[in-house]
Amino acid sequence: MISSKKSRALIALAAAGALVAGISATSARAADKITIAFVMGAESDPFFQAMKVGAEAEAKAEGVTLIWQGDPSQYSPATQIPIADQVLAQKPSGLVLIPTDPVALQNTVTKANAAKIPVVNVDTHVNDLSKVVSFITGDNADGGAKAADAMAKAIGYKKGGSYQVAVGLTSATATTNVARLDGFSKAVAKKYPGIKIVDKAYSQSQPAVANTNVNNWLTKYPKLNGIFAIDGTNADGASAAIQAKGLSGKVALVGYDAYAKNVALIKSGVITALVAQDPAAEAKLAIKTLVEFIKTGKTATAKNVVIPNFVISKSTSAADVAKYTYVQK
Amino acid sequence: MKEVRELFKNQQFILVLVLAAMIAFFTFKNPIFFTNDVFANIVSDWAPVVLMAVGQTYVIISGGIDLSVGSTVGLSGIAAAFAMRAMTQHSVNQDLTLAVGTLIALAVGIAIGLVNAFLINKARIVPFVATLATLGAARGLCIVTTGGGPVGEGPQKGFKYSVAWLGPFNTPALMVVVIVIVAGLFMHKAKFGRYNYAIGSNTFAARGAGINVKRHLTKVYVLSGALSGLAGMYFYIRLGSGSPSSGASGELMAIAAVVIGGTSLAGGTGRMSGTVIGALILTTVTSGLIIIGVAPNWKDVVVAVLIAGAVFTQGLRTWTKD
Repeated sequence: MISSKKSRALIALAAAGALVAGISATSARAADKITIAFVMGAESDPFFQAMKVGAEAEAKAEGVTLIWQGDPSQYSPATQIPIADQVLAQKPSGLVLIPTDPVALQNTVTKANAAKIPVVNVDTHVNDLSKVVSFITGDNADGGAKAADAMAKAIGYKKGGSYQVAVGLTSATATTNVARLDGFSKAVAKKYPGIKIVDKAYSQSQPAVANTNVNNWLTKYPKLNGIFAIDGTNADGASAAIQAKGLSGKVALVGYDAYAKNVALIKSGVITALVAQDPAAEAKLAIKTLVEFIKTGKTATAKNVVIPNFVISKSTSAADVAKYTYVQK
Repeated sequence: MKEVRELFKNQQFILVLVLAAMIAFFTFKNPIFFTNDVFANIVSDWAPVVLMAVGQTYVIISGGIDLSVGSTVGLSGIAAAFAMRAMTQHSVNQDLTLAVGTLIALAVGIAIGLVNAFLINKARIVPFVATLATLGAARGLCIVTTGGGPVGEGPQKGFKYSVAWLGPFNTPALMVVVIVIVAGLFMHKAKFGRYNYAIGSNTFAARGAGINVKRHLTKVYVLSGALSGLAGMYFYIRLGSGSPSSGASGELMAIAAVVIGGTSLAGGTGRMSGTVIGALILTTVTSGLIIIGVAPNWKDVVVAVLIAGAVFTQGLRTWTKD
C-alpha cells in the first residue's frame, strides 16, 4: 500500500512537472513510446486468452507496448483493484480496463483520469461511463436470446408443445451469467412459451461440478429436451455427461463461448450450437481507440460499441467457424 | 441397554445412521433418488473424493496435513491429458493410451508427494505451510501449462468406462474400491499402519522405539500424492479432458470427509471406514440436493453442520470416558 501511495505521489509530481514545463501530459507521451495497460478479469479464462491474442496483435500493428495484467484465476474486484493500482503506478499512456465490479472499479477510473490516463472499458463497464472514452462489449443479453432461438430450433419447437430445458451457470453473481440468463429467459417467455426452464445449477468454474449437475438432471428429468450451458466450463461438463450416457443428439446442448474443444464437439453432434463472442475484435478495437485518442485527443470510435455475437452450428461455413473459434495459445 | 449405549458411542454406527437418514429424507422428497442411476452418480462423485481422503487419513493420523491434494488432482490430470492427446494424434491404441495416462498421473502425484516430504523432512517446514506452498505451485502450473482451457482430444473410450455396469459401479470406481480396501488393511492390519498411529500419537516416543519417522512420513506423503494423482486421472476419464480447475478446493472436501469420519486432526486416532462413509455422505448431499431441487449453495451449509456435528460427537465420547 505504501509503495502504491508513493507511486501515486510520483505520478502527481510528474504531472505537475509536465504542467510547469508548459507541456501537456498527453502530447509529451505521444512523442515517447506509447504504453497501453490492459487489466482484465481472470488470466486463466480462455475468453481472456483469446482477447490477449487480439490485444498483442493490435499492439504490434500499432507499434505500442502492451502491459497485460490480471489475476491468474479469480474474477474478483478484491484481487483486481491492487493489480490495477500497480499498473497505474507504471504510468501507462492509456488503460483498457475490464472491471470485475461496476462500483468497486469506479475509483480506478477516477485515479487514472487524475493522472491523465484515458480509459476504455471492454466486456463489462463501470457505472459512470462519462469518465470513459469508450465501452466496447459483446452483448450478453443478446447472446442469451440467440441461445434461446438456437435451443428452440434444436428441440424442434412447435407451438402448443411442451418442452423441458435446464440451465447450467457458473455462479449466481457473475454479471455475464446474469445477463445471459436474463436474455435467455425473456426470449423464452416471449417467443417460446412452451419451453419450461425446469432447473438451474452452479458449476463454481469446475467442469467436474457441472458434470455432476447434468448427470443428476438427466436422472431427475427423463424427458429433458435441452440444456443451455451458459459458459465454456458448463459446456465441458454437460458434453461429457451427454456422451457418457449416449444422449448425443437426443438432448440438445446449446453452449456459450467458442473454445476450440467445444467447437470440435459440434462436428461430432454432441453440442448443438455455440454462441460465440469476438473477444479478439473487442481487444483490437479498444487498443486502436486508445492509441488514436492518445495521439489526437479524440477518437472515431463510438462511445458505446456492441460487437455482435455469432451462433456456430453444424451448418456454419468452415470459414466462419475458423473466424469465430477462440484462438488459444 | 448398555450395548445400545455403546453402539451410539461408535462413530461408524452414527455415520451409517446419518447416511441412512439422508437417503430416507431425499427419497421421501423425491422417490427418483432411490434409483440405481442416482446411486451411480453418487459413486462416480465419491470415487475421486475418497481417493484424496484415504491418503489424507494417513497423513492426518500421522499428525500432519496435506493441503496440496486438490491441486495435485488438477496438475496430474493435465499432464496425463497432454500425453494422451499426443498419443491419440499418433493413433495409439486407446486402452494403452489410458494406461499410460494413468501412469503419468500417478507419477505426477508421487513427484508432488516427494516435494512435500522434502519440504517437511529436510527443509523442516511444518506440513500445513509446506503443502500450502505445493498447493499454490501446482495450481499455478495448471494454468501456466494450459493457458486456462481444458486439454481434450484424447481417447474417447474413457466415456465408456465411466458408465456404471455393476450396480452403481463403473470400472474405475471398482478399482477405487479395491485401492480403498487395500489402504484400509494396511492401516489397521499392517506394521505400516501401526507406525502411523505411533508417530501421530507421540513422535518422540515413536522415534525412541526405533521407528524411522522421516522415512515413514515420506511414504505417507507420497501415498497421498499418488492417490490424488489417480483421482486426477479419474476426473479425466469422466470429463474426456484435463481441466486446470479440476480438484479446486478438493483438499477441503478430503479433510471434511476425514473429519466427518471421526479422525482427529490432532493425529493418532481414526479409522479408514469412517473416512469412506464420510466421503459418501458428502457426495450424497451434493446429488440429493440437486434431485430434491434445493439451491446447491446450501450444500456448503449442510456440510458445515455435518463437520460440526461429527466433531461434537467425538467430543461426547471423550467426555463420557471422563
